[in-house]
Amino acid sequence: MNVTPRYLGRGSWLSRRDPRVLILAIVLFVFATVQVWDARLAVVLFAIALLYYRSARIPWRAVRFNWLYVLIFIGFIVTTNTIITGGQLRGTTGDTLHVYFNLPLFGTPVSAESVSYAVTQLLRFLSMAAIGFPVAFAVAPGDIGVAFARLRIPERFAYAVDLTFRFIPSLAADVRTTIDAQRIRGYDYEKAGRGPIGRVRRTVPILVPVAINAIVGAEDTIDAMDLRAFGTHRRTWLRALVFDRTDRLVLVGFITLFVVVTVLAFNGASRLYVLPFLIP
Amino acid sequence: MATMQMDRSNLWDVSSRVIVYAAIGAALYAVTAPLSFLIPGTESVSIRPSFAFVTFFGFAFGPIVGLFTGLVGNMIGDQLSGWGLLTSWNWSVAIGLVGLLAGLTPTYLRSWMNDRGRMLAAAAIGSAVATIVGLLFVFTDIILGTTEDFNSALTVNYVPAVISDLVTVVILTPILVAAWQPVKEQLGR
Repeated sequence: MNVTPRYLGRGSWLSRRDPRVLILAIVLFVFATVQVWDARLAVVLFAIALLYYRSARIPWRAVRFNWLYVLIFIGFIVTTNTIITGGQLRGTTGDTLHVYFNLPLFGTPVSAESVSYAVTQLLRFLSMAAIGFPVAFAVAPGDIGVAFARLRIPERFAYAVDLTFRFIPSLAADVRTTIDAQRIRGYDYEKAGRGPIGRVRRTVPILVPVAINAIVGAEDTIDAMDLRAFGTHRRTWLRALVFDRTDRLVLVGFITLFVVVTVLAFNGASRLYVLPFLIP
Repeated sequence: MATMQMDRSNLWDVSSRVIVYAAIGAALYAVTAPLSFLIPGTESVSIRPSFAFVTFFGFAFGPIVGLFTGLVGNMIGDQLSGWGLLTSWNWSVAIGLVGLLAGLTPTYLRSWMNDRGRMLAAAAIGSAVATIVGLLFVFTDIILGTTEDFNSALTVNYVPAVISDLVTVVILTPILVAAWQPVKEQLGR
């Protein structure tokens, strides 16, 4: 269970960008993408997301299980949405569907429209995931709090985010140690049976000691902060962040993308586009 | 025996204590997120024991801590898994709301929680109500286009999430509160 932040994109073009660029890029891109239901525009956004992702040079071997998780999750969302919506897709009615067949048991019509919907949704999610990866793997973990602070987010919130990233490695180690310690005592978290309630109860020997230890240990951090008069004056950050020309260009590019997509969405891109070659 | 020495006047203070507990809560939520498992016989209902940290931290340390634990913990958990910081931002907000609402429980039930049994009952009931109400925010999936209509938002998203999270919070939150209470008194908090 490796959940600690990994700086896999170290040295890449994207990792050399100001971390604020990566955070703003994901915000602009996600809010642009959620407006799009035209598959043609979704393909363009997907291509941009892939280019952006590649510039982070994240080794495939290190993130293949993350991608597997993303693909399984997206596959589940797309499949269930397509089945549950039962052909009631945005901007279409039952009369206008080009139905191939009805799904056994569910009776949901599988049509050119529902396949286009599924493809567009798949592209949307893949694009957003691809844009999100670099924030996890191409920003130095120590820069996250500074980046939020420099984005003029309230400094206490930024400091809490910074602390969260600092706590994650030690708490992840505590979880592993606790699991090992309980296993020595004969505990087996992965043991099947006893139903969901039994399985939830089986997490108690892990969650309770980890949580209580973490809270008790936090007292030292609180004391250290209080002794340094935390919160009595405006906090300063040692790490300076400066936008260079490339950072500004990247940012302008994402702002332009957001504006263009928003304009296009008001002019039809927010409606489902049925891929012509799917119409029988 | 109240869980917190908080009243309505200092409920929204952001002290060093609140910041550290919020960060601990969010980090715990993120690192224990992989302990989730599917309910046998279902394809979509996943039980997340880590969700109990949202209601516990809210209940024990106040609404700001609960909000931060849910909001930032879920975002970081999504980020570490590869799903992306903001891909499901509305779910993070919903989970943050659960923590915030759970954090209001001790303040409003203080006079009722005059013994240990009632306090644990309040932890379970408050967490359950907070889960049911807070997760209503996931219906924004309809506006965002992640789900197509109310029916699918209800059957695919809201109901499975509420059921699985209720199982978690009703069992684990009182246990965590019961474990924390003697430690709190020992620490003099």
